[in-house]
Amino acid sequence: MKLSKIIPFLLLCIQTAFTGQLQVVATYGYIGDIVQRIGKDRVEVISLARGDYNPHIIIPKPSYIAKLRRADLLIINGGQLEIGWLPQIIKQANNGAVQPGERGFLDLSMHVHLIDVPTSVSRELGDVHPEGNPHFFMDPDNIPVIAKAITERLSELDPDNQAFYEANNKELYVLWQQNMKTWEEKLKPFKGVKVVEYHKIFDYFLERFGFTIVGTIEPLPGIPPTTKHIADVEKLIEREKVKFILQDVYNPQDASLYLSKRLNVKLIVMPHDVGAVQEADNVFSVFNEIVRRLTNG
Amino acid sequence: MKKTSISALLLFIFLWLSGLIRAQSKEGSAFDQSKYVPDIALILDVSGVARDMADQKYYSLTIPGFSYPFLNQPSSSGLNAHRGLNFNYGEMSLYSVVDPYFDLFAVIDLAPESAGLEEAYFTTRKLPYGFKIKAGKFLASFGRVNEQHEHYWDFANRPLIATALFGEDGLNEIGAQVTWVAPTPFFLVLGAEILNGENEQSFGTLGLSDPKGSVAIDAVQGPNLYIGFIRSSFDVEDASILFGISNAMGTSRNDQGFSSIGGTGEAVDANTDIIGGDLTVKYSLDAIRFISLQGEYMYRMMNGTEYRRDSLNVVSSPSIDKHNSGFYAQVAAKLDQLWEIGVRYDLLMQNDISLGGMDQHMPSNLPRYSAMIEYSPTEFSRLRLQIDRDESRSAQTSGGWSQQPYTQVLLQANFTIGAHGAHAF
Repeated sequence: MKLSKIIPFLLLCIQTAFTGQLQVVATYGYIGDIVQRIGKDRVEVISLARGDYNPHIIIPKPSYIAKLRRADLLIINGGQLEIGWLPQIIKQANNGAVQPGERGFLDLSMHVHLIDVPTSVSRELGDVHPEGNPHFFMDPDNIPVIAKAITERLSELDPDNQAFYEANNKELYVLWQQNMKTWEEKLKPFKGVKVVEYHKIFDYFLERFGFTIVGTIEPLPGIPPTTKHIADVEKLIEREKVKFILQDVYNPQDASLYLSKRLNVKLIVMPHDVGAVQEADNVFSVFNEIVRRLTNG
Repeated sequence: MKKTSISALLLFIFLWLSGLIRAQSKEGSAFDQSKYVPDIALILDVSGVARDMADQKYYSLTIPGFSYPFLNQPSSSGLNAHRGLNFNYGEMSLYSVVDPYFDLFAVIDLAPESAGLEEAYFTTRKLPYGFKIKAGKFLASFGRVNEQHEHYWDFANRPLIATALFGEDGLNEIGAQVTWVAPTPFFLVLGAEILNGENEQSFGTLGLSDPKGSVAIDAVQGPNLYIGFIRSSFDVEDASILFGISNAMGTSRNDQGFSSIGGTGEAVDANTDIIGGDLTVKYSLDAIRFISLQGEYMYRMMNGTEYRRDSLNVVSSPSIDKHNSGFYAQVAAKLDQLWEIGVRYDLLMQNDISLGGMDQHMPSNLPRYSAMIEYSPTEFSRLRLQIDRDESRSAQTSGGWSQQPYTQVLLQANFTIGAHGAHAF
């Protein structure tokens, strides 16, 4: 064996000896949880963003660069949700395997159908995502689709464990469908119920279960509410007989609380990701918790 | 009858044309490349300045000893240079992937009557083992603030020590950089840069010659500036701590009328070694609010020979030995989605210049105090009110230097349109 062949081989040995498992970095907690359910002990998963923070605005910590440097696979939500914080992390990680376009880069938004794709975009309209609403994780029907995409990619990068990943995916699918039945059952009485959201983050969930969204407390996506807009929403809630005000965990709740108290409309704070609230520590409990909070009284 | 036939003819022509246009727009896009247009952004920065000093006097001030005479004066084309209204810059940035192997990034600095290339460089995308190469013209990775574009700063102006050592435009050079990110559980990056080293404040490549032939020093050939840096980071709970050490070494050349024919003049040929240390701590209080602390220390040693030609055309060449140091420390706090406040303390500390072994008694321990409040309706627009009290500048008098403190209030507006990439930490 020539030295030029031995060195890469040795490096490969060192690399596999160090890791053994496939190193996966997920941008958000929900992605990490699905990867863990499919990869189990064959993968090591790191989720970057904190679940209780604004998914659009994450501080690009240098420690993320170190995590990405050692990754075999980077899985992102996509739909421009990470555009404000992830691109520089990828550039600084000096890891060719996880660059966009490589097999070690998986954009989940490419595998699901995005709603609210704008026909034209302008920042006059606030923080609009040109590819559509990126919070597709909120539609529980998207979970099996996401899980399938992840299973396929894990199998491609680690073909030795393909059968293992596929079996775990099947198991997840069955369990998910059982839970879906429960959620559908519990939310049946809510068809047509009118709600107001703070930010357009729960649209996928609300549309899936037949709620009617009549407005948002933000005047435009990403713009904090103004006094005038709050007054408009107040009229809207009264006119449309809105039943719930839905709020995420990371935005200020002053406006929602004010409207809730003044108009005696229930304010429900809902998790939008794994880790958003204490009870929502995995993909199942995120939806269990949303359903519990909606149906509680 | 005639009218209707004309109308019919017009209608026919119209239909035929519209059909043709439709067909063309489809066929005509066969070679359309609009999807490959790079990310283009324009950043505009304007300000209003109130200063308790006339502009002409302000431009004549300098920080003696920190650089060659008359080099570190505030220039009339710099940021916030004029009392009243200022057009600070229009900055156009272009970014795109070149192909699977390279990225390309460029920043064009636009002024009312000129345009210049601030940065233009490529980077590699998939070198193995954590390596990356960058080459072209770029802001050197020396410390923290130097690599950042102005609009990313927490304050309207560059820290004092960075201006004193590298000038108003920072250390911006032609050259190449290699970085290696270590496969460690914590962030660790090592980098080296080979640069032309034309920065007029601390480096330079000029050849020096006395018209009478007593001095003849060739211009520095090839790269003249070498930078090494190491940077690391770790998290403690919700705080991210980033720190680094940088070192820049190169030849320093400066010529103030020495190589021209006749009259007095002076020139310097020296070796410069600059060491910098930086620390940034960003602590998230919740999803929106954070506190960030940032500080940098820089120390410069310069030693070589100064060439002087007096009015009798006699050339002397005393040795020159400079030791300069300074730091800045700033705290900024994001109060909510819209408001951020901050304070900064700048201090130029050591300023020891010895010429032919004689101490030149330069002013030292020169401070500047700054405070700011900014309002950002969105991430694309920002208004900032800043107040500075600067006691670092002096005017030359017959008896030496006299300190000329001034106070200024800046109202700065900054806007971004187009596709502007995310910022690093």
